[in-house]
Amino acid sequence: MPTKAITPAVLAVPRRNLGELALRVRVSGVLAFLLIIGAIFSLRSSQFLTPQNLGVIASNAAILAVVAAAQAVVLITRNVDVSVGSMMGFSAYLTCDFAARHQNAGAELILMALAIGLFLGTVNGWLVAYGRVSSLIATLATMSLYRGFTYLYAHGQEVTSNRLPRWMLRSVDLRIAGVPMLVVICVLVVLVAAVFLRHYPLGRRIYAVGSNPVASLFYGLRPHRIILLAYALSGLLCGFAGLLYAARIGTVTVVLASGWEMSSLAAAVIGGVSVAGGSGTVIGAALGALVLACVDNGLVLLGLPEFWRMFIQGSSIVAAAAVDVFIGFGLRKSLQGRRLGRSAG
Amino acid sequence: MVDRVEPTPALRIVGVSKSYGASRALSEVTFDIRRGAVHALVGENGAGKSTLVKIITGIVPADAGQVFLGSQAVHFATPMEARAGGIAAVYQDPKLFAHLDVAENIFLGNYPTSRLGTVDRRRMYTQASAALGQLGLELDPHSLVAGLSVAELQFVEIARALSAELQLLILDEPTSALTPAESERLFRIVRTLRDRGKSILLITHRLEEVESMADDLTVLRDGRHVATRPAREVDRAALVQMMVGRPVETLFGRSQSTTAGNEVLRVEDLGVEGTFAGITFSLRAREIVGMAGLVGAGRTEIAQTVFGITPPTRGRVFLNGQPVVPRSPRQMLKLGVAYLPEDRDGQGLIMADSIVNNVTLPIVGRLARMGVLNGSGERRVATQAAATYDVKAISVEQLVMSLSGGNRQKVAFAKWLATTPVALLLDEPTHGIDIGSKAQVHRIIRQLADQGLAVLLISSDLPEVLAMSDRILVIAEGRLVAEIPREEATQEKVMMAATQGAGTSRACRPKP
Repeated sequence: MPTKAITPAVLAVPRRNLGELALRVRVSGVLAFLLIIGAIFSLRSSQFLTPQNLGVIASNAAILAVVAAAQAVVLITRNVDVSVGSMMGFSAYLTCDFAARHQNAGAELILMALAIGLFLGTVNGWLVAYGRVSSLIATLATMSLYRGFTYLYAHGQEVTSNRLPRWMLRSVDLRIAGVPMLVVICVLVVLVAAVFLRHYPLGRRIYAVGSNPVASLFYGLRPHRIILLAYALSGLLCGFAGLLYAARIGTVTVVLASGWEMSSLAAAVIGGVSVAGGSGTVIGAALGALVLACVDNGLVLLGLPEFWRMFIQGSSIVAAAAVDVFIGFGLRKSLQGRRLGRSAG
Repeated sequence: MVDRVEPTPALRIVGVSKSYGASRALSEVTFDIRRGAVHALVGENGAGKSTLVKIITGIVPADAGQVFLGSQAVHFATPMEARAGGIAAVYQDPKLFAHLDVAENIFLGNYPTSRLGTVDRRRMYTQASAALGQLGLELDPHSLVAGLSVAELQFVEIARALSAELQLLILDEPTSALTPAESERLFRIVRTLRDRGKSILLITHRLEEVESMADDLTVLRDGRHVATRPAREVDRAALVQMMVGRPVETLFGRSQSTTAGNEVLRVEDLGVEGTFAGITFSLRAREIVGMAGLVGAGRTEIAQTVFGITPPTRGRVFLNGQPVVPRSPRQMLKLGVAYLPEDRDGQGLIMADSIVNNVTLPIVGRLARMGVLNGSGERRVATQAAATYDVKAISVEQLVMSLSGGNRQKVAFAKWLATTPVALLLDEPTHGIDIGSKAQVHRIIRQLADQGLAVLLISSDLPEVLAMSDRILVIAEGRLVAEIPREEATQEKVMMAATQGAGTSRACRPKP
């Protein structure tokens, strides 16, 4: 490549549009929202800001943050995974049932949960990427299937906490410098996922495929494989999250983590992950989980009815989706618009 | 044997042919692109330029013939392989990732990585700045692609192309969305690349760009190679002659001019911000008015605005002398304006439904008795319509998607005519249908006009426009640039008007 530089022709004036601006400030928006609701709750309730309560909020947010990260990875590819709760339940039940039969089982339990999650996620990914089933339909189907298999396997039984290995239950209650072990583990997992998405070529390609699938073909990427990998990663994270959740609540029933598809989606969308693909971060999704946990906690402290939790969750999704539409509009304008002469301009 | 040593051309195209089904897109095209030259590829809409580019860059395979890069025969299977081989194309709608920044868009397929396998961002941004700097661009590699102008998007694509060992850069109508200043910037970059020994294949509709930029030019017409010449040997008139020079097809048989009736539709100074402006014309009963222009000139947008799909931001529309503000297709249909979209299968018909349901869809309200549809009544209307327009089908219950293109178009006609309109807007009504059906469609259009309808015929098929129209409106870059009565209309005249728009109408416009 020749190195001779030519004189700058015309200075390119950076012309940012609102879409770009909104994309950039999204995570700070979630942080601001978090601070605002935190401020409101702490003014209304003296208990909100106590270290003990903050620990409770963090513990409640932690596992959801991991699942929201899993959901985010899939959303970034322009797909959705509504089977996250079923994957958690499936891997948690099988792993804990195994643990109940083999009292001296150790770290292999973690590997087992991860392997089950990875397998279930790969099935999802295969259906969506190669089976060409729309992601909503495919994962709705596997949501039922995975949950159904759990029922079949459990045969009406549940795994109670006294049958689980001691170390498993105790490990999540440990505290490191006052911070619950559970929170530490989940923060680490989210950070690893964040580094993967932000700093590894494969992570960047996940964004690229979601941002513009057609262009990704022109760039020589293999979008199908990348989508499969995103689902596999989502399954892996959910398998792990299922085990953590089982350890946290102690009693493993067949309905463990049902309904998490909704809260993980809410957390991811509130955290600035676009359902239109291509944008958002797992850190944002984790912050979204923290927002939901704060709202839950604050409303309990203030003694407000369940309605308000639903209301805030619903309206923040609508607000986040509106921002999405706004950003999408800006993007379309800049990438496809103005193909004709700007005659009226 | 040769007394003059010719260097190997950068690219040789030898006997390349390509058919899509029955239609032949390219037949035995042969020409060379010299090293270090800007080579213009010109031709009318549908002449085969895009197909040729797709073959060179490996998007579609050729049926026959070969492409040589240097002295090597190449068969690229994907655009990536072509890029690795040194051929890159920049399209008028750049294929980039809006959510990612400029540097990532340049390096996505091929990131610089650190020892840990992570993306080496610092190196990436430095290299991106260097690549952009070489092109004389002061573009921040950190800015998101979402915030760039169309020109800047193309510059990013070019920067990306240069990050590989580039031999040939293909620019597919690069200036169609650029302002004059942006175009000038682009061409400065093109000249720099040429002076460094790269070859550039420039596809353009703007003849003044051919004059100012090209060293050589190649003309394609109807998928055939017409000529490859040094650009300075060809003047504009000769070029237009080569582009349209086929004998006017007698297939349509110039239809008799009937005396036009009263004015049915008149638009005055119609405009949609950013799309077209200052459009004034009228349609009279029993008249076919052709609307010619290049693809993307704004013809479809004008028709859709009159039909109420995109409300106008300025100007007025009169129907039978009464002012109307087009707000929705529902309203315009009620007032008697019907529109046959260009994307017939996507916008004009419900493919997975029967002929009868398609035909009666716009008038189900009228056919229903007390809100209940009467199946035999529906079938009667549809059967009659199918007979009138000679739709070839086993029964009116047959699904539209099982019909041929020509028969689908007839169903689309039947559907809108069931609404008994007074003005009919046809957008490329014969696009993609076979010759036999084409003649039938022409006959239908003529009949309808004779029955008293006012018809606006948008078509990129010049012989068709010339043969069918009583008057021809020429649109270029969102403006009405000429109105030619049928006696004076020739292909050259229409082409000249359609391709001249750029320089004249833009120069006086203020920069954005």
